[in-house]
Amino acid sequence: MLNKLNKLSFVIGLFFFIISLLLLANYLTERDQTQQINLYVGLLFLAFGGVMMLLKNTEE
Amino acid sequence: MKLHFTDYLIIAVYFLFVIGVGFIIKKRIKSSNDFLNSNRSIPLWITSLAFISANLGAQEVLGMVASGAKYGIMTVHFYWVGAIFAMVFLGVFMMPFYYGSKARSVPEYLSLRFDEKTRALNAITFAVMTVFSSGISLYALAKLLEVVLHWNFDMSIAIAAGIVMVYTFLGGLTSAVYNEVLQFFLIILGLSPLVIIALHDAGGWSTIKTQLQPQMTHAWKYMATANENPMGINFISLLFGLGFVMSFGYFCTDFLVVQRAMIAKNINAAQRTPIMAAIPKMFMPIIVVLPGIIAITLMQPALQSKGFSIPTNEAGELDYTMTLPSLIAHYYPTGILGVGITALLASFMSGMAGNVTAFNSVFTYDIYQAHFVKNKTDHHYLNVGKMATIFGILFSIVTAYIAKSYNNINDFLQLVFSFVNGPLFATFLLGMFWKRTTSDGAFWGLLAGTLTAAITHGLTLAEGKGGWIAPMFVIKSGMGQAFIVAGFSWIGNFVTTIIVSLLTKPKPEIELRGLVYSLTEKPKMAVSKWYTKVIPLSILLIIITIILNIIFF
Repeated sequence: MLNKLNKLSFVIGLFFFIISLLLLANYLTERDQTQQINLYVGLLFLAFGGVMMLLKNTEE
Repeated sequence: MKLHFTDYLIIAVYFLFVIGVGFIIKKRIKSSNDFLNSNRSIPLWITSLAFISANLGAQEVLGMVASGAKYGIMTVHFYWVGAIFAMVFLGVFMMPFYYGSKARSVPEYLSLRFDEKTRALNAITFAVMTVFSSGISLYALAKLLEVVLHWNFDMSIAIAAGIVMVYTFLGGLTSAVYNEVLQFFLIILGLSPLVIIALHDAGGWSTIKTQLQPQMTHAWKYMATANENPMGINFISLLFGLGFVMSFGYFCTDFLVVQRAMIAKNINAAQRTPIMAAIPKMFMPIIVVLPGIIAITLMQPALQSKGFSIPTNEAGELDYTMTLPSLIAHYYPTGILGVGITALLASFMSGMAGNVTAFNSVFTYDIYQAHFVKNKTDHHYLNVGKMATIFGILFSIVTAYIAKSYNNINDFLQLVFSFVNGPLFATFLLGMFWKRTTSDGAFWGLLAGTLTAAITHGLTLAEGKGGWIAPMFVIKSGMGQAFIVAGFSWIGNFVTTIIVSLLTKPKPEIELRGLVYSLTEKPKMAVSKWYTKVIPLSILLIIITIILNIIFF
C-alpha cells in the first residue's frame, strides 16, 4: 500500500475514491431532490478513482 | 454561499493530499537537479497534463469564465487561435533546441545562443513576470475565499500561500508537477457537472443564441472592424497580436510551460508534451468559456426567473471575476459544492506553484549561480533553490495586492505578458532560425521591444488604464490594448534585432551547432506508430482546430 503511494495514478485514484465516498454519504444522509447531483458525480468519481487506482503504469 | 461539514471535509482532504504529495516526493530529492529540474525523469502523460495544468491557474479558470461573460465566444480565440498553433510549433520546431542543448532553463538557452547579458535580461524580466502571475493567482483565491467563505482577505492570502509553500518547498518541481496532474483532473471533473446543469437550465445552446446579441455567439463574423465586437479589436490585431505574438511568445518562450516539456524522459517525449497537451487544451473552452456565456444569458430579461446574477463592484459594474463562483453558489448543493470550491482552490494552487517552481529555477541557475556565486557545491544550490521558493511566494503576496486594483484579472495578466513575452518571441524566432543574429542584436532588440511596449501602453487608453504619456488612442477593452501593445513590442524587437545584428559580428558557426535550425541535424525518431510521431499528430491537431473555428465562425 505504501509503495503504491509512489505511483501518481494511484494517489489520484485514491483521492477521487475518498471524495466519491463523501459525496455518496452526503446523498444517503440528506436525501432530497437537490442531492441527486451528488449521487451522479459520486458514482462518476468512484468509477474514475477505481480505474486510476487499478491502472498499471509501468513508466512511473 | 454557505459551506457545510461535508464541503469543508472535501477541502481538507484535498489539502491533505497536496501536502502529502510533497512529503512523498521529498524522499526523492537528493540534488538541486532533482529539486529544480525533476532530473528529466517524468513520464509523458504526466508532463503533458502538467503542461496544460500549469496554464490552468486561477487566472485562466476565473479569468476565462469572466472573459466569456464579458466578450462572449470570442474568448475561444485564446485557445483556437492563441494556443494550439503555438503549442504545435513549440513541439515540432523549438523543443529539439531546448532539450537538445541540455539547457536547464530558457534563459540558459539564451546564454548558449547569445551571451550572459541577454540571459540576465530575460531571467530578470521572467522572474518579475512569474511573481506577478503568481500574485494574481493568490489574489483570485483570497478574493474567492473572502466572498464564498467570508474569510478575512489577508488571512486567506497567508493560509493559501502557506500551503503552496509547504509542498513546493518539500518536493520542488516534481511535487508541483504531480499536484498539477491531480489538480487537472479535479478542475475538469469538478466543473464539468456545473456546465451541464447550467447549460440545461439556460435552455441549451439554441436558447443562448436567441437570447444574446449575435456578437456574443460568433467567434469571427464580427471581427472585420473593431467597433463591431465586444472585444474592440479587428481580426488583424487578433491574428497578429494574440495569434502570433502573444501566443507564440507565451507557449514557446515562457519557461513556466516550456519547463514541463524539458523534464520529459527523452527528446521524443519532450516534443510530444505540448502536442499531447493541445488535445485537452482544444476542448477547454467547454469548461472555462461556456460557463461565462451561460451566465450572461441567465441574466437576460427572459431568463430572470432563474434567479441568477453576477455581483457588482463598488462602481456598480458587473464584477466578471466572480462569474464562476456565482454559478457554483447558484447550482451546487452541499457536497458537490465542496468539490467545486476545491476545484477553484486547485486552479489557484496549480497556477501559483507553477510560477514559483519556474521562478526558483531561473533565480537559482540564471541569476544567482550565473552572476553572483559560482562554483559552489550542489547542496548549496539546492538550499538556494529552496530559499528562492520561499521568497518567490513572499513576493507573490506583494503582487496580489497590486492585482486588487483591476476588475478583470485576465486583462491585467495579458498586459504583463505583452510587456515581457511579446518582444521575447522575436528574439527566439531570429535566434533559432537566422544564424546571423548576434548577441548584441538580441540584447538591444529585447530592450527596444520592452521600451516599445511601454510607449504603446503609454499612448493608448483602455477602460481607464494606460495613456500615461498621452491618451492619444482609445481602445474599447483592456484585452484589445494588450494585443496591440504585444504586437508593437514584437515589431520593435524584431526590427531592432535585425538592424543591430547586421551592424555587429555574429558568433562562428561552429559555436551555433545544436542551437540554430539551419546548423543542426534534425532528430530521427525511432518510433513506428503514427500517433507517436510528432508531425502526423500536429497536422491532425491543426485540422481539428480549423474545423472548430469554422463551426463557431
